[in-house]
Amino acid sequence: MKVTVKSWTGVATWRWVANDDNCGICRMPFDSCCPDCKLPGDDCPLVWGACSHCFHIHCIVKWLHSQPQQQCPMCRQDWKFNNK
Amino acid sequence: MAQKIDDLKVYWNKITYAFPILNDAIFSDCSNTEYEEVQQLISGLGIEIKIRDLILVHIEKYLRQHVAPNFWAKFSKVDEEIKGFQLFKSAVTDLYEAVSSFSPILCRLTILNNNCNDNKPIYGEKDVILGFKQLVRATLLSQLPLNFHIIINHFYKVSFNVFDNEYENSEMAEDVMCSGCLNEYSDCNCAYIVKVFHDTNRKLMDLQLLERLTGQVLTNFIQMRIESHIQKICTGTFDISHIGFLENWLDTTLMTWLTRIYCAGSSKPPPDDKNIQNAISKFKQKLSYFLYHSYTKLRIDQLFNIIIEYPDSQPAIDDIKLCLDKTDLRPTLCKKLQNALETRLLHPGVNTPDILTAYISTIRALRHLDPSGVILEAVTKPVRNYLRNREDTVRSVVSSLTEEGAGSELAEELAKFAAEADGDNDKDDAWDEWNPDPVDADPKVDSNDRRASDIISMLVNVYGSKELFVNEYRTLLADRLLAQSVINTEKEIRYLELLKLRFGESQLHFCEVMLKDILDSKRINALIHQDKSIEELNKKFTSNAMILSAQFWPPFKDESLELPEEIKQHLEAYTKSFEALKGNRTLSWKPHLGNVNIEIEIGTKKLDLTVSPFNATLIMHFQNKPEWTIDELHQAMKVPVTILRRKITYWQSMGLITEKSTDFFVLVDSSDSKTNVQTSQVQDMICEDEETESVMTSAQDQREGELQVFWSYIVGMLTNLDSLPLDRIHQMLKMFALQTPGTECSIQELRQFLDTKVRTHQLVLQGGMYKLPKT
Ligand SMILES: [Zn+2]
Ligand SMILES: [Zn+2]
Ligand SMILES: [Zn+2]
Repeated sequence: MKVTVKSWTGVATWRWVANDDNCGICRMPFDSCCPDCKLPGDDCPLVWGACSHCFHIHCIVKWLHSQPQQQCPMCRQDWKFNNK
Repeated sequence: MAQKIDDLKVYWNKITYAFPILNDAIFSDCSNTEYEEVQQLISGLGIEIKIRDLILVHIEKYLRQHVAPNFWAKFSKVDEEIKGFQLFKSAVTDLYEAVSSFSPILCRLTILNNNCNDNKPIYGEKDVILGFKQLVRATLLSQLPLNFHIIINHFYKVSFNVFDNEYENSEMAEDVMCSGCLNEYSDCNCAYIVKVFHDTNRKLMDLQLLERLTGQVLTNFIQMRIESHIQKICTGTFDISHIGFLENWLDTTLMTWLTRIYCAGSSKPPPDDKNIQNAISKFKQKLSYFLYHSYTKLRIDQLFNIIIEYPDSQPAIDDIKLCLDKTDLRPTLCKKLQNALETRLLHPGVNTPDILTAYISTIRALRHLDPSGVILEAVTKPVRNYLRNREDTVRSVVSSLTEEGAGSELAEELAKFAAEADGDNDKDDAWDEWNPDPVDADPKVDSNDRRASDIISMLVNVYGSKELFVNEYRTLLADRLLAQSVINTEKEIRYLELLKLRFGESQLHFCEVMLKDILDSKRINALIHQDKSIEELNKKFTSNAMILSAQFWPPFKDESLELPEEIKQHLEAYTKSFEALKGNRTLSWKPHLGNVNIEIEIGTKKLDLTVSPFNATLIMHFQNKPEWTIDELHQAMKVPVTILRRKITYWQSMGLITEKSTDFFVLVDSSDSKTNVQTSQVQDMICEDEETESVMTSAQDQREGELQVFWSYIVGMLTNLDSLPLDRIHQMLKMFALQTPGTECSIQELRQFLDTKVRTHQLVLQGGMYKLPKT
């Protein structure tokens, strides 16, 4: 008997490689989306700060807009986008 | 002294000449002038009262001893209708003559009574003649024989046939037999029967015996007639309204006939006789009620079938609707229909889609019958409870909702709802169409809910709440998306849009993301196939992925499965490629999910199969090493032994693997002809082990194969009733599945069969009770 695999369709779940499960601002899971969004992933991506904290991009942008100083809400260091 | 006695004898002779009844005779030649003399004699002697009372005693005795027995003597138990007709006629005629022959005596008695001046009532009446008639009636009725109704019934039956025939103007006109009297036309008896009928009725009326003697018999007879008439015209079809015809038949045939009985042949009651008019209109009221009642009862007995044929059966529903207002049959209807639904639908032998179809028909028909929704709610409660406990209910509803083409009532219903949602909805303004709830309404339920609920929400409510239903839908959608190698996403999206209109955006948002995942996966697969680093691997076979957003999918059962090394490498390469494509994101594989397209060559045969990763892994292991113990497989695949045992049956049923000895499996050699698979048959087989179970034909046990037909019944029972002992299962099979001849199964055979199911882990036996294993 000879078995030949012609195609293999597997099932996987995707996740963000982050050092936390939830967004520190909206408390939603990173793998879900921010409260303003409907679709996770490409449509509601994560961003990392120089301090290595990460958030939904929409959450941190909103946060920074509402604050006089541009600080990370977690560690209060000055916020800089880290293009890693 | 002697002179005096002689005188008395003369007086007595004179008195008995005028009143022969004193000698128990009736006829006398006594003339009016002669009687005047007798009267003077009696008055002269001052014995008016004594003589009168004596005469009354004798009349009473005569009636009791002669008239009444003669009358009743004719009421024998005859079978022939026309004989009964004749007997009753002669009984009434003789009675009438006998009573009439009293009139000269009564005439004289009246004069005598007037001379008594004591105002004593004669049998309760002031008038002698009325008192006499009263006495006749009382005497007759006191001797009523047991079977008196038989010839009366014959009499009216024979005459009614003639009338019924007259009004129906039969189509059998060319027959040699008259359908009225059942004689040949050459000596048709109808005219005679009509004459006798009128004559007899008039005499009974005159004797004031009509009602007393024939009332009950007549009522029974007419009621039987009504019932048989209804039976005759209302069998089979439900697409014609009958109530108009029936009312008309009552008005013309029946009432005319009755009127003729009461009015001595005339078809209209005398305008001045209020008594007769009242009697007739009372009778009519009684009969109308009986007509509606009988008709409704018949329709209620047929209601299940009427409902199944709805909307073609709408005329029948309209009839019931009309009759319910005129009768008190609402509770009967509810009870009977509920029983019918339970016995016809709610058992394991009926498919869920069939139950749903019947349920939908019931909703539609009853909503037409009773717009308040009260009957519907009461009647369908057991159906809803039952559906709730069937595990494939939501699946059936959802698949029916998303079914294409004609025949799917729910899909139509969903589309209709979408169309209505587009139009403006001003139902709230319809306050002037408000109607109070019927008295049997459950006060705890808001009547607006009851009225407004559409068919889909009725079905969804079976499941308790919209949320639960949507959750079930999500699970089913997930199963479907993952099970199918080719997914018609466009179709799924279209239905999702319809469902969103129905259940609201937010409820179905999860499903939207799920569908988007599947669409995105196709794009990602295409991109990754272009990746140079994976190209070499893909030359051997292509790997694809369904990449899911875990937060939006229902939780997955965690099952372990160690994939073959080659596959693992392939999937790892895929992950790397994905990570490169989507920065900061990675994949976690669910090794047991997905589908695999494999080709198996055995000898000259080639099988092209789509199987689960488990089955693919298993057969790949057998390719490398043709003999495995269950423990070795467990080591290699990291799958629990129980699951291995259950799932290996797939390849056993395909004839590729056989269990050589307990828990020792070997590959069936290509030269072995036991391979009972035809390539064509297997081509589109999707490998869900459960789905292929019924294909399982184990060569060593033919009988088991035969018993396999009951397996779905048994699964159905256990799904609904959780756990059952052997004898209950046998009993229920006997009721539902073993009725067709040739499907006998002894309890021992059943035990053997169930035990093999236990061995293959399709059943669990615990404390004498069989159960389905928890999956
Ligand atoms: Zn956030
Ligand atoms: Zn967002
Ligand atoms: Zn920080």
